[in-house]
Order: sequence, then structure tokens, then C-alpha cells
Amino acid sequence: MPALTIDRLKAYYVNEHFGLKREVRAVDDISLVVRRNEIYGLAGESSSGKTSLIKTLAGAIRPPMRVIDGSVRFNFGGESVDVYRQPDRMRQARWRHLSYIMQGSMNVLNPVRRVKHSFRDFAFRHMDPNRDFQDRVVEHLRRLQLAPGVLEAYPHQLSGGMRQRLTIALATICEPEFIVADEPTTALDVLVQQDVLALIKEVQRRLRSSVVFVTHDMSVHAAITDRLGVMYAGRLVEEGPTARIFAEPQHPYTAHLIASLPRIGDARIRRSLPGKPPALSDPPSGCRFHPRCPLAIARCIKEVPEMLPSATGGRVACHRAGEAEVT
Amino acid sequence: MKILRDLLRYNREFLAGVVLLGIILTMIGLSLFSPFDERTIFAVPPDMPPSLDHWFGTTSRGQDVFWQLTAALRNTLAFGILVAVISRLIALVVGLTSGYLGGKVDQAIMAANDTIGALPHIPILLLVYFVMRDQMSWVVLALVAALLGWSHDSRLIRSVALGLRTREFTRHAVFSGMRTLQILVREHLPYVVPILFFTAMNNLIWAIGLEVTLSILGFSDINRPSVGGMIYWANSHSAMVSGIWWWIAFPMVFVVILFLGLFMLAMSINEYIDPRSRLARMGA
Repeated sequence: MPALTIDRLKAYYVNEHFGLKREVRAVDDISLVVRRNEIYGLAGESSSGKTSLIKTLAGAIRPPMRVIDGSVRFNFGGESVDVYRQPDRMRQARWRHLSYIMQGSMNVLNPVRRVKHSFRDFAFRHMDPNRDFQDRVVEHLRRLQLAPGVLEAYPHQLSGGMRQRLTIALATICEPEFIVADEPTTALDVLVQQDVLALIKEVQRRLRSSVVFVTHDMSVHAAITDRLGVMYAGRLVEEGPTARIFAEPQHPYTAHLIASLPRIGDARIRRSLPGKPPALSDPPSGCRFHPRCPLAIARCIKEVPEMLPSATGGRVACHRAGEAEVT
Repeated sequence: MKILRDLLRYNREFLAGVVLLGIILTMIGLSLFSPFDERTIFAVPPDMPPSLDHWFGTTSRGQDVFWQLTAALRNTLAFGILVAVISRLIALVVGLTSGYLGGKVDQAIMAANDTIGALPHIPILLLVYFVMRDQMSWVVLALVAALLGWSHDSRLIRSVALGLRTREFTRHAVFSGMRTLQILVREHLPYVVPILFFTAMNNLIWAIGLEVTLSILGFSDINRPSVGGMIYWANSHSAMVSGIWWWIAFPMVFVVILFLGLFMLAMSINEYIDPRSRLARMGA
């Protein structure tokens, strides 16, 4: 049984203002599976729905966002938990089985409370009450190469990298089976970024947990993820083993994302893709990528491409799959 | 402790506030050693000017102004503190819940809040006084005043809470399964404690002003000494006309000292907590 099964999930931001109803289809008909002990990457440019998707799968959505259709099922220790049909089970599983490293997680620690209090507030009630909490926290921090002294500090006394590592420590203290990481490295410089990535990878290996890792930075995906899903305008357009996708992207959008990566020794100017991602309240017909796609044909405007098995051992949604080249 | 020492050394308003309040607190402390019962009249010869026997003179009712004043300051300050504490509690609860819950609940609470804020205080207190008549004690009066005096500060606290509810750590707390009450008390309360402190000072000043006003008009327990009450009796005995100036002058001087002291303290604490007000005064 996979660790996470998402089945035809649709979650829209529904707004009604003065009788005018607007739907923003941030997560539109997405199906995917995350296996045990793997890091699943989600890529895509800003406003492609990455954060909306993982908020939905973690059950952390708030109005005006609403799940319209589909299901999200976790497998926690052999037990299946449906996020939206079993909210009570889900509430118990949070932090214990499912933790979340949030976007801008530097601000996860309350600036007017000591770090140890944040640990106590967030994690204490999810842990085995028989073991000494303080000891476990200290032991956990030591494994992540953080001095126990940081527990006495206020967040503003710590550097950005330390705070980021603390939030990872906070998210993994209960040794969860599933970790959702929303751009945990975006605000950090490259050196700290590398540190943090190594830390996440190390924690994941030790706990043998599954991680969904979101970032728009393709080089981070190349460094850390086992499988990669590429999102565009609220839909999944391609999925597969990370290495194979980087070697031979099937979808023209993926090809462009990979082509945008700078390579050492290559002095060519990178072409950027013309146009902008579409407004999700009024997406283009057919394939949502067609207005910007260099390979678009008449069929792309009319027919929505389905997710079909691709040549790289994954899936791709494109009428001209495999024809794109990384230039 | 070090903060207090530094404030005393470098902040002249704080020093002045501490000294002025020190005078008031000394007076209040002395009230414990008063040789006269505070409610007894004609305990000393009436209408004596200030002398070595009676430092601030005596009243036409045969009371020693100095010892009356010590008791009066104690009662007035107790009233102010009681009002400030109760109204802080209400403001805190209303502000934090309203700001955190937001949406419709917030709108409803704030509608009630603004209604209370728009009510005129003195007519309502007079109304309550006339309805309660003999059951009216200073505690009841303080309670009514507190129920009227929180709405402005709860809005202030709400504005902070509104900002806190969308912060990452709040979302994290919600995600980790903390209950609303826990979030409010553990995560948000520490943020608004400074606001509580400096609004408490302002509220204290307001409450004392209210008490003095009501007592001067005679709408309180007139036999229980209070600063306003002393002036009320002085007026009813036409003290100014008959030249017993000390009966009015000393209560006034001390209420001014009390106000100035609290104001200086509130100002310097505000300056310490919010550095922007310091910059504003420097002309930034």
C-alpha cells in the first residue's frame, strides 16, 4: 500500500462577491501516489498550484478554499486514513504521523517565546508521555547537530539557517511517517540550502519516511528527490523518476524548466518562455499549456490531454509527448 | 531589575513619575498609621489652618486634612486599580478572541464593542447610582466603570491579534492540533502583554478622573473619604468663601501629583516598549 494516494482531487478557491461567483481552480483533477520511503518532488512555477496541492493533501486548507471532488488517503502504519472523510483520525495523526515544514518556515517559531516552549506547545501532546520530553528533544537536536543551548534562546537570537534547522527538528521530533515540505530552502543562501537539504535527506533515510518536497528550484529537485511531479496551472503535467525526467523530459513544459537551469561551462543566454501562467479562474481550453507551447497543434486547443504512461517510466499529459527537446 | 535601574538613570520622565508616585504611595502607606478613624467627624477642632499639630489644617467637619487625604488617596487609587484590572481582563478576552476568530464573530463582537465605546460614561454611571441608591458601594461603581472602560483597548488588542492569526506560527500551532484557547493563551498573550501594561496606566488615569468627577458631584458614598469626596464636602461647606483654602488646595495638589506621576510613567513605559514613539518625538 502506498504511503499517500491522491485520487482525482479537485480543490478550488470559491469566492462569492456581490452575486458574482468565481472559482480559482488551483488543484484540478490531480491523481498521484507517493510510496513509502521516497522523496516525491513537486515542481512548477509560481501560481502553478503546488502549495495549494500540498495544503489540500495535508488537510490544512481554510475557506475560501474547498475540496470539490476526489479523495486523499494516507497510510499510517498500515491503517488507511481518509483526510476529508475521517477528520478526527486525521487530527490525531497530525504531527505524530504527518508533519509539515511550512513555506517561510523561518517564522514558525513564535518570536516572543523561547524555542523550548515552541517544542512543548507543538509536539508534547503527540509524544509518548512516559519518556522524558526534555531528554528526547535534546537527543533529537544533537542528532541534527544543534546544541541543546538553542532551546533557551528566542528565535531572533538565532541565524536563519539555525532557525530553519530547528523547524525541521520540530517537524521531525515525533518521527513522522510522512513529511510535507513546502519550499523549506527558498529563503536560504546556497550553502545553508545544501546543509538543510542534507539534513532533510538524512532524517528521511533514518526514519524511512515519505516526503513530499515542493520547490520551484529544479536544481534542488535534481539534488534530493527520487520522483518528480511537474505542475502547470493547477494540473499535473508530467511525473516520473527524477533522473529520467532530467535526462529526457517528455512534456514541453518540463523540457523548458530543465533548459532554464544554468550549466557550468555553458555560456549561452537562456531563453525564457514567452507569456505568463494562465489565470486559474479562467484557464485556457484543452491543454492549459497550449498558448505558450512551441509544439502546440490544433488538437491541443480542443482536447484535454490525459495522463498516460510515458517513455521514462512515469506518466505525462501531452498530445505530443516525447517530442520536446531540451535546448 | 537592570531595566528599572537604566530607566531611572536615563529616562527623566520615568524618574519623575517614580518620584511623584512615590509621594502618593508614602501617603497611602501612612494611612495605616492614622490616629483618627477616617469616617469620624469632629475628632479635632474644626477650621484650623495648617500648623505643626495639623500639617494640612483641619476641615469644617473636624477632620485632619492630612490624615483624611492619606485615606482618600488610598481609596481613590484602589478604585482606579480595580477598574483598570477588571477592564484589562475584559479588553484582553474580547480583543484576543475577536481578532483570532475573525470573520462574522469578529464583526458581531466589534459591533457590540463599538456600541459600548459610544455610550456616554457619566450619565450611565449617574443612572446606575440613582437606581442602586443604598446598595451602591465603591466596588459596584468600579465594576460599572470597568464595564464601560474597556472598549477602546480591546480594539487595540484585536488589531494585534488580527495580525497574529495569519502568522506562520499560528498556522503551525493550528496544524499541530493546539486548541484555540491554548493558542490564545500560550502563543498570542505574550504579544499583547506590553499593550496591557501601558493601556493599564491610561485606564487608571481615566478611572481616577471618573471617580473624582463623580465624588465631587456627590454621587458616591460620601462618608468614605476620597479625593473627590473631600472636595465635595469642602464645596458644601463653602470652604473657598469662608477662607478654608487648605481643605480644597491639598486634595487638588495631590490629585495633580497622582495624575502627573501616572502620566509620566505611562509615557516613559510607552517609549520603552515602542521605540517608534521615541523617534516620533525626535522629529522622524
